[in-house]
Amino acid sequence: MRKRTLLALAVSAALAAGVSGTAHAQKKGGDVIIGMTAAPPSLDPHATSAQVARNVNLHVFETLYARDENARPVPDLAEGVTISPDGLTYVFKLRRGVKFHNGKEMGSADVVASLERYRKAGASASLIKAISSVAATGPHEVTVKLSSVQSTFLGNLSSPRAPIAIMPAEEAAKDMGKAASIGTGPFRFVEYKPDSHVKLARFDGYVPNPAYKERDGFAGHKVAWVDSVTFRFMPEAGARDAALQTGQIHLNETTDAPTAKRLQGNANFQVIKALPFAAMVLKFNMAQGPGTDLNFRRAVAQSLDFEEIMAVAYPDNYRIDTAWVYGGSAYHSGRAAPKQDLAAAKAMLAKSGYKGEKLTFIVHNDRPTVDTATVIQQQAAQIGVNMEVKVADWPTTSKIGLGSDQGWNFWTHGFGIEPYEGPASAMSHWVKGQGQRKADPVVDGLFDKFNGEMNLDAQRKLFFEFEDRMADQAIAINMGNYGLFQVATSRLKNFKAYRIPRMWGVWLD
Amino acid sequence: MGRYVLRRLLATVPVLLLVSLLTFALLWLVPGDPASMFLDTSATQEALERVRREMGLDKPFLVRMGDWYWRVLQGDLGTSLLLNRGVTEAILERLPVTLSLTAIAFVFAVLIGVAAGVLAAVRHGRAADQGVMTLALLGLSIPEFWFGLVLIWLLAVTVQWFPAGDYVAFAQSPVLWAWHLALPAFTLACVQMGFIARMTRSSMLEVLGQDYVRTARAKGLPEPYVVLRHGLTNAMVPIVTVMGIMVGALLGGAVVTEQVFSLPGLGRLIIGAVLSRDFPVIQGGLLFLAVIYLVVNLVVDLLYAALDPRVRLE
Repeated sequence: MRKRTLLALAVSAALAAGVSGTAHAQKKGGDVIIGMTAAPPSLDPHATSAQVARNVNLHVFETLYARDENARPVPDLAEGVTISPDGLTYVFKLRRGVKFHNGKEMGSADVVASLERYRKAGASASLIKAISSVAATGPHEVTVKLSSVQSTFLGNLSSPRAPIAIMPAEEAAKDMGKAASIGTGPFRFVEYKPDSHVKLARFDGYVPNPAYKERDGFAGHKVAWVDSVTFRFMPEAGARDAALQTGQIHLNETTDAPTAKRLQGNANFQVIKALPFAAMVLKFNMAQGPGTDLNFRRAVAQSLDFEEIMAVAYPDNYRIDTAWVYGGSAYHSGRAAPKQDLAAAKAMLAKSGYKGEKLTFIVHNDRPTVDTATVIQQQAAQIGVNMEVKVADWPTTSKIGLGSDQGWNFWTHGFGIEPYEGPASAMSHWVKGQGQRKADPVVDGLFDKFNGEMNLDAQRKLFFEFEDRMADQAIAINMGNYGLFQVATSRLKNFKAYRIPRMWGVWLD
Repeated sequence: MGRYVLRRLLATVPVLLLVSLLTFALLWLVPGDPASMFLDTSATQEALERVRREMGLDKPFLVRMGDWYWRVLQGDLGTSLLLNRGVTEAILERLPVTLSLTAIAFVFAVLIGVAAGVLAAVRHGRAADQGVMTLALLGLSIPEFWFGLVLIWLLAVTVQWFPAGDYVAFAQSPVLWAWHLALPAFTLACVQMGFIARMTRSSMLEVLGQDYVRTARAKGLPEPYVVLRHGLTNAMVPIVTVMGIMVGALLGGAVVTEQVFSLPGLGRLIIGAVLSRDFPVIQGGLLFLAVIYLVVNLVVDLLYAALDPRVRLE
């Protein structure tokens, strides 16, 4: 009996020590400085879907629903939602006592104004185009009506792409790009010095969501331990590496594989793999040239060795995965990667109308992306496909690839946010021929069906059919996931890689 | 003198017109879409067009060009597509960084370059001369970005004597201002140091061989006085002319240096604008740099006359 009591006491003491140890380890204070590759094009969260803007804005702003650690939509500023049986009406109960950084309490008028602004001119307004009306049905209740059933509505509403952020109604009344950075997030905006930095400070009036106990994706229990966060814009990779090693920054948002390898064993730094960060995709232009020919596309697909491509472009930080959503998603199919088959590829190419003409492969000037294109070029050359790789900066490449049927046959780039957001986002780029320049009626039909389907199993079936169609018709080739190497000083504690470098829940030792 | 200055100022008008026309022509020829900086890879055509409309990029090119000239005539360089502020404001925010960097680099280049050139000339044909000339050649040949990275690795990362980048305003702390700009300014000055050293050496050798220098020595004047007063003063005329060109070169070089050392200056503003196709900033920034360049050259021409009374400006 005594022995058992002692054991219980020992366990209690150990637990107490553990709890107090953890509490003690968390330190309040300090300014965390993050080296970022670029400056955000805007700090108005509705105006831009650029990754660099998300990095900053999602510390300042919050959404009604947000994605958890596994990218599932969960309540954030909303307590929850009631969906009508016909799937057309969503009644959101808002959390009470949530304060904006200007001291005003968030209410339904702010939510209505924010949603109305976004669906009018938000950077990804199509996410909520199914909305037919938004109304405040109480001081802390908002009712959204849809014109048609959209199974992905909560997913879309919680998208971090160009976040459907809730801002004060008076800011939501301003033109796109003009809203002040006043949100409800754990950090408030302090200053923006162009070409230098954005500085945020802890919002002391922040009340973490009581429904959660832990940090969870973009939602959860958010606690800001650091006094401030400075996002410093440092486009030159060498300058970011040097700044980290001299203690001028605490986190390098991304570095190259050799630097990550060099710092791996150094006790002063922690190397973190943000994997998966994007899916690497080869797109065909199906509107002109040999890309219109199914045999040609299949031949190119069969000529590729994904393992070699990813190993060259993203050494030590890739995963062969040909599913169109990331692992961990309920929609992940676990599809096996096709094997390179040069004989079959040559035979398929012979059946096509391709006569060896030079084809244009556009790619933007990011080193691993250019490496990807170069290896694809060499592998396709083995079966006689003649590709010319044309490298330009992103504005040029995207203008050619997104805006024109002419001037390109192949285009490779990463899809980062789409596989994270889920099936509807992953599919949407191929709907109405947006990505491949020529619509595929089967893909379009599957997308429509998916949007109207509320049953998870039926949704999975439809999404797997989409993946089969993409592979069978070689509309685009998904070669695998790549990651980012992030390096932090060992002083930065409890940092965990996610879609953005989250600075809530971390502290400086 | 007044008429000369007026004439020179009037001559800048066609130069500025040419600069702006060339910039417009280049921007028209270079492809690229500023709207793509706002949106991600899955942006719909509809979203891209909406952003282009908001940026005013849906207007015909000639209309945009006409609008721009009309605004410039009224002293307005327009509004940045991406920075959410006026171009003039954006330039003025960054100007202190670039001017500080250029000024310190200028001082480094002139002081070290002239001193090295004088030493080489005085020790003509000896080891010091050969050493200085070898270093000058190295300085001229080393690419700025590479030299900058080497200095960062050596003096910032390895021995940690200097910061690897960043900028501290003079008003905030003059010491930190100088400390943060030391490495980038030395990097930027490197090429010009070599250039000035070689120029000074050859000019000094020519002057030191003149009859009046021999006379000064024959009179028993101390050697430092002969070298500095009679030699260097007369040798400075061609060097001062070169200094005007040097300021232009330093402003150009600042673009690379600011990028390597993450300094938020005018060069980085323009590079960022080029990469993101922020047309008003490119236009305004280049026009502004052209104005600085022209003003510096005018000042140098006036100095030239002050140094050499034989030069008449009228």
